[in-house]
Amino acid sequence: MILLLPAVGVMVLLAVALAALLQFSVLEFIPGSLRTGGLTTRNLDAVLTPLYLRYIWDTVLLSALTTVLTLVASYPVAYALARSRSARVRSLLLVLTLAPFFTGAIVRTYAWMLVLGNTFIRWPVKLLFEPAGVLIGLVHFSMPTMILILAAAISHVDRTYERAAASLGARPRRVFWRVTLPLSMPGVASGSLVVFAWTFSAFPTPELLGGGRVKMIANVVKDLALDAFNWPGSAAFAAVALAVTFLLLAVVTRALVRTGGAAA
Amino acid sequence: MIGRVIVGLLVGFMTLPTIVVVIASFNPTAILAFPPAGLSLRWYENALTYPQFRRAAVNSVIVTGASALLALPIGTAAALALVRHPLRGRGLWSAVFLSPLIIPGVAIGLGFLILAARFGLLANHAVLISAHTVLVLPFVIRSVAVSAANLDPQLERAAASLGARPGRVFRRVTLPLLRPGLFAALLFAVIVSVNEFVVSLFVSTRVTEILPVAMFTYVVNYTDPTMAALSTLFIGATFVAVFLTDRFLGLSGILHIEDHR
Amino acid sequence: MTAKTVVALEGVEKAYGSVRALAGIDLGVIEGELLALLGPSGCGKTTTLNVIAGFAAPDRGRVLIDGADVTTRPAWQRGLGIVFQSYALFPHMTVAENVAFGLRERGVAPAEIAASVTEALALVRLPGVATLRPAQLSGGMQQRVALARALVIRPRVLLLDEPLAALDRKLRESMRAELKEIQRVVGITTIFVTHDQHEALGLADRIAVMNAGRIEQLGPPREVYERPATRFVADFIGASTLLEAHALDARTVEIGGGLRVDVRLPRPLVAGERVRLLIRPERVELGEGAGMLAARVSGVMYLGDHTEVQVELSSGVRLLATVRAAPPLGPGDPIGVRLPADAFLEIA
Repeated sequence: MILLLPAVGVMVLLAVALAALLQFSVLEFIPGSLRTGGLTTRNLDAVLTPLYLRYIWDTVLLSALTTVLTLVASYPVAYALARSRSARVRSLLLVLTLAPFFTGAIVRTYAWMLVLGNTFIRWPVKLLFEPAGVLIGLVHFSMPTMILILAAAISHVDRTYERAAASLGARPRRVFWRVTLPLSMPGVASGSLVVFAWTFSAFPTPELLGGGRVKMIANVVKDLALDAFNWPGSAAFAAVALAVTFLLLAVVTRALVRTGGAAA
Repeated sequence: MIGRVIVGLLVGFMTLPTIVVVIASFNPTAILAFPPAGLSLRWYENALTYPQFRRAAVNSVIVTGASALLALPIGTAAALALVRHPLRGRGLWSAVFLSPLIIPGVAIGLGFLILAARFGLLANHAVLISAHTVLVLPFVIRSVAVSAANLDPQLERAAASLGARPGRVFRRVTLPLLRPGLFAALLFAVIVSVNEFVVSLFVSTRVTEILPVAMFTYVVNYTDPTMAALSTLFIGATFVAVFLTDRFLGLSGILHIEDHR
Repeated sequence: MTAKTVVALEGVEKAYGSVRALAGIDLGVIEGELLALLGPSGCGKTTTLNVIAGFAAPDRGRVLIDGADVTTRPAWQRGLGIVFQSYALFPHMTVAENVAFGLRERGVAPAEIAASVTEALALVRLPGVATLRPAQLSGGMQQRVALARALVIRPRVLLLDEPLAALDRKLRESMRAELKEIQRVVGITTIFVTHDQHEALGLADRIAVMNAGRIEQLGPPREVYERPATRFVADFIGASTLLEAHALDARTVEIGGGLRVDVRLPRPLVAGERVRLLIRPERVELGEGAGMLAARVSGVMYLGDHTEVQVELSSGVRLLATVRAAPPLGPGDPIGVRLPADAFLEIA
C-alpha cells in the first residue's frame, strides 16, 4: 500500500492541524498575546452563553431553511438536466449550473451585494445586511452542488421503471411521484446533508451579505481569531462546527455504506 | 410547459448575479446606474493595475501551481490504490480522503494558522500550499478514481502478456487510459485552488495572500466597480474552462449524469 | 367464424436519426394467439414492441387496438400489460405493492386490490412472497412477479420483451412451458419479442421473422421452418445449406461439377433456368452404397444428442449434415451422400 502513503501523509497533516485546534479550545486565552495559559473550560463555557448561543441557533435555523429552499429550487433544474430530451438543452443547463459552481465564493457573494444593495433595483423590503439577503445568497451558493447531486441520482433512475409505471396506467405526474421521486431519494438525502453541513460552516456569504448584522458560527470564529486574536475562544467555536459536521458525516457515511455507496 | 417556465425562472435566478456584475463592470461611474450612462473600461484598468491585486495574482499562480503539482501525483496514486486493491473498510478510506470537502473551512484555516504560528511559518507560502493541497486532494482522487474504475484490468494484463514490463505497462496503457480523469483532476484542482477563500484568509498575510483574499479585503473597504471588472474576468475565464471541458471531455461523464435509456 | 384482429400495425415506419429501425411494418395480431417477433438484434423487433406499447411514436403509419387508432395515445392510456426484459420491478416497493401498482392507478378499492394481488400471485405460483422486496427474489421469481403485475390489470394484450433472456438455461426451459400454460389459461392475446429461434418455435402460434426493419415472413412455426420464404428466414431459423443449381429438365438439376440430382418442387422447372435450392442438414443422408454421391468428410462436431458432419462432394460443393448417433468418422474419410428429392426447398 505504498501508493496510499503520500495521501495518508497529507491527511495526517490535516489531522494534526485539527488536533492543534482542539487543543487550543481548552487552553487559557491571555489577552494581548498569542501565547496561551493552562488548561481551562472557559472557552467552551463561553460558547454556551446566551450571546453566543444565539449565533449557533441562527446558524442552525439558516442552515435548515437554506437546505429546504435549495432542495425545492434545485429539483426541477436537476430533473430537466437529467431528463431533457434535447442534448443542447442539457449542455446549456449544465454550463449555466456549473459556471457559478466554479466562479468562487467571493465573486458570487460580491455579485449578490450588487444585486441586493444596488440603487437601480427597488426591492420591496430591505434585503442586504438582513437575514433574508443572507438566505438568498446561501441558497444560490448551494444550488449548483444540490443540482449536480440530484441530477446524478435522477439520471441513474432506470427509465424502464418509468415505462413500466406508464404501462400500468400511471399518468406522467403519477409516474413522477410514485416512481421517479422515490427512486431519487438517495440523492435528495445526500444532497440535503451536504448542503446543510456546508451552510452550517458558511463564511463569505454571511460575512459580506450580513454586513456584521447577521452572523453565523464561522463569522464568530473569524472575528475572534483574526480581529480579537483570541485563538482559544475561536478554536472552541470552530470545534463546535467541527463536531456538528462530523456528526453529519457519520450519518452520511453510514447511509452510503448501507445503500452500497451508489450516490456518493 | 409550466415546468419549463419554472426551470427558466430558477436558471434566471442562478444567472442573475453574473449578469448584474458584468453590466456593473462597464459602468462609467462609481455609483451604479441602470441603464448605464455609457461604457467604460476604467474599472478594468483599475483592476489590472491595482498593486495588491497584481501581487495577489502572482501568489495565486505560485500557490495553485504548487498545490496542483503536489496533489496530482499523490491523488492519482491514492485513487489507483483505492480502486485496484480491495482494502478492508474501503468506504471508510474514501470517507477519510473526501473529508476535507465537508470539514468547515474555518476549522481547517484556524488549525493551520495555529500550526503555522507554532513553527514560525506565518508569512510563508508553504502553509498556503500545504493547506491547498489538502483541499484539492479529494477532487483529484474522485476524478482519477472514476477513470480508474472504468479501466479494464484485462488491458494491462494483455500488455503484460505481450511482453511489456510493469513500468512500460503503466506508461503505455494505464496512463493514457487515465488521461480524461487526470485532465478533469487538474481542472478541478486549479479551479478549487484559484477560488479558495476561507482557509486562505486565515493562513495568509498581506504579503502571501492570494486573489480571493485580496478581493475580499477590497470589497470590505471600497465600493467602486473595480471588483465587478475583476469578477467579470474571473467569470469569463471560468465559462471558457467549463465550456472547453464540456466540449472535449463531456462534463456529464465526469459528473456521472449519464443518459440511461 | 372469422378470427378477430386485436392489434394491427399499418405501414409503420420509424427512424432514429439516419438509422431506419422500421421500414414499413404491416402486422395483424389475432385474438388469443401467441405471436413471436423473431429476429437478430437490431432487426426492429423491440422498436415494434415499443411502438405498440406507446413508448416510441412511429414516423409514419398507424397502430390500432380493437380497430381504434391509438397511434397518438400515451402509454398509460393503452391498457396493455408489459413484461420488461429486466422485469423493471420497482425496487422501493414490496412484491404486493408492485403487483397492486396498476390497480391503484385505476382507483380500485383496497379490499379488491388485495384479493386480486393474491389471485395473481397464485396464478404465477408464487404464494407467500407478497411482503418481500424484488431484490430478495431469484431471477425466475422476479419474472413471475413481473408477469403477475402485468396480468392483474386484465390487459387487452400482453407484451413480453425477451421474457426468458435473463434466465439460465435450465430455468428458461421450464419457464417456457409455464409461460405457455399461463397464456393458455388466461387466454390473453400475447406478443413476445425474442432472438431465440427455439423459444419462438416452441412457444408461438405464429412467428413474424424480422430483418432490417421489415417482416420477412409471418406464419406458424412449422411453415416458417419448413417453407422459409426468403434466404434470410432459412438462414436464421435452423441450419441449412444453400445450393446454386440450374435446371436440366422439370425434375432434375445440376448442382455444379456435373452432379445431377432429382428434385421434387411444388412447380415444374424449366430447362436451363437458375434456381437456388436449400436443404436442411437433417434431410441429408450419409452412408454407403449404390446411388449415393461420392464425398469426403471435411469436419465433424460432436454435440451430444446429435453430430454435425461437414461433407465435400467430389465437385467441391460443401454440405452440412446432422446424424443422430456419433459415427466413427474423421476428416478425410470417404463417405456417400444421398439427397432425397423431396428434401429441397426453393428460395427466391
